[in-house]
Amino acid sequence: MDSLVIAILLLSTLLLFRTRKAIDAVVIIAVQSAGLAIIALLMWQKTGMVHLLIAAILTIVVKTIVIPYILFYTVKKTEAKRNVERTMGQFGSLFIALMLVVTGQYIASHLSLPGAEHGMRYLSTAIILVFLGTFTIINNKQVLMQGIGVIVIENGLFLLTQAISYGMPLAVELGVFFDLFVAVVIIASLSFRIHSAFHSLNTEKMQDLRG
Amino acid sequence: MLAIGLLISPLLTGVLAGLCSKYKFADLLQVIGSFVTLCLTGLIALHVFSGNVIHAFDGLIYIDALGSFNMMLIAIVGLTAAIYSVSYMRYEVQEKVITRRQLGRYYFFLHFFILTMLIVSAVDNLGLLWVGIELTTLVSAMLVAFYGTQHSLEAAWKYLIMGVVGIAFALLGIVFFYLSGLNAIAEQPAAALQWTQLFQVAGNLNPRWVEIGFIFILIGFGTKAGLAPMHFWLPDAHSQAPAPVSAVLSGVLLNTALYGIFRVYAIANVTLQGHAGDYLIAFGLFSISVTVPFIMVQHDLKRMLAFSSVEHMGIITLAVGIGGPLGLYGAFLHMFNHSMTKSLLFFSAGNIAQKYHSKYIDRISGVVKAMPFTGIVFLLAAFAVAGAPPFSIFMSEFTIMLAGADAGKLWVACTFAALIVLIFAGMSYYVIRMGFGELPARIGKKPTDWWMRIAMCIPLSLILLCGLYVPEFLEKVIHTAASVLQGGGEGFGQ
Repeated sequence: MDSLVIAILLLSTLLLFRTRKAIDAVVIIAVQSAGLAIIALLMWQKTGMVHLLIAAILTIVVKTIVIPYILFYTVKKTEAKRNVERTMGQFGSLFIALMLVVTGQYIASHLSLPGAEHGMRYLSTAIILVFLGTFTIINNKQVLMQGIGVIVIENGLFLLTQAISYGMPLAVELGVFFDLFVAVVIIASLSFRIHSAFHSLNTEKMQDLRG
Repeated sequence: MLAIGLLISPLLTGVLAGLCSKYKFADLLQVIGSFVTLCLTGLIALHVFSGNVIHAFDGLIYIDALGSFNMMLIAIVGLTAAIYSVSYMRYEVQEKVITRRQLGRYYFFLHFFILTMLIVSAVDNLGLLWVGIELTTLVSAMLVAFYGTQHSLEAAWKYLIMGVVGIAFALLGIVFFYLSGLNAIAEQPAAALQWTQLFQVAGNLNPRWVEIGFIFILIGFGTKAGLAPMHFWLPDAHSQAPAPVSAVLSGVLLNTALYGIFRVYAIANVTLQGHAGDYLIAFGLFSISVTVPFIMVQHDLKRMLAFSSVEHMGIITLAVGIGGPLGLYGAFLHMFNHSMTKSLLFFSAGNIAQKYHSKYIDRISGVVKAMPFTGIVFLLAAFAVAGAPPFSIFMSEFTIMLAGADAGKLWVACTFAALIVLIFAGMSYYVIRMGFGELPARIGKKPTDWWMRIAMCIPLSLILLCGLYVPEFLEKVIHTAASVLQGGGEGFGQ
């Protein structure tokens, strides 16, 4: 079951570099977050720590339902369905993404972090998610896709804390969820305004300020 | 009780002023609200600086001398920005740039922004500190995007993405600290993120994780603090935001991010036996030197001020890196001076930009003739920020130089001195060109009203006073705040 979830997480994130439609990326984010919720549930089952259950429920509510819904709404309203544009071509993007996966595995095996008993195997996946999220932001020219990259990074960090220490203290965990929610609302709101000011969501038009 | 009041007051102010923005009394209401916030921080400061530490809610809220010092700065700049906003925004409404309804949104976000910065200074938990700093990014991005023009949206988006990604790396660093804390304080996992607890066991933390964690946090919060080379968002955001927001961003938001770095640095420096300071010196010097060419060749007034903020954040970081009682004293004195001077400068620059309908240095000349009050304030503040005697910034820069020489880092002190002389030359050239010279053919009829004058007089009187001598109570406050980083504040609280 663990390996299956890890496989789903990695494959879905790699698909981010192949997709041509922003709407698919939103679905990918939902699937990825559902994977995180399952991991938290599995760890709750093994350790019986209540805050893991709370984290799992919050992940389902906030990350798999509310956030994708907001993004879905934004994609529909801004008609950004089809115009995912990248700096690199599909082949190049996927190649670099795969290299990042390998690098992440390598780093995770050399970090020699103590880690939690049931969480350790997720460490490499967590690091890879952070890498891939950063690469998504660099590689994409479209505003919404950059926002999705931010969510992938946050997901990676969430998994990392789960892997190392079964998550952060509850107050912090709640704060992080709240921040992510506010961040997505603001990303959506800025996307609307960028769309109405520039008539597109492409960041290439936003290169005026320098020096 | 005080702490709760302090957090409720800006929230209430923002919500009420936001809802009632149709009526003119909302302007006065938000000024009064900010004044109440300032009074509350004053009361907290009295309590804290007479030797107590405020604890509440099972360690969730923790205010010591350093936090209280930062809060005072936030509240003072918050109040002056609120006063200044009245006049600035009334003019924008009159010119039909914005509507009263949008003004309500502005008030809401401005006061919510101040609230988030107060939260950062009032928590003990490093995780919650992170949550607070992330919130400051999110809220202030909305303020940067306030005008909704193409440029402001570009600046806001760049700021949002760089801020959020940078801060994600800081969270990674905090996870490393949590990990080393968990190993040292195995019995109570909740305490492993608390700054006070970590500081007590700093000697037993795993140096390798602490070093990795500290570098991640330095880069992450450094992005927010505008340290080079992560400063790219800063000139954009500062130049596109409304002037009072630029004043708050530059005057206290950057300090708040530095505050996060220094809290972590205090732990890391003990664990790494003083080597963490080298990172701060490197980032500090690099930030100062990067800004030299950008200040010397600049076309946009507000961008020039923004680069000057990068420089001053570098100076503060450098001073804390040099350390020692003198270095830390210089750092926090500089923090205070910079907050006052830079907010004053942004206020006067905003007024000038409204009068000349432009932020471009080439189109601004004869400011002293066109607007005597603002012009003179602008000249004074600009020379003060560039580091001319007898203003307060000269005092703190001199202290920092002395501290560098004292600590045996003579080359650091010399490089620092050479760089600020270059920056002084660049800034004064442009400032004199703007201040004097022929009036342009057409300028606006905007008068400088009393709201603006009051908003500018508060920081102006403070920098003039501190330039001549540092009042005794301020000196005591700064020493107490600095001693928190040296561990002296610890015995003092209990």
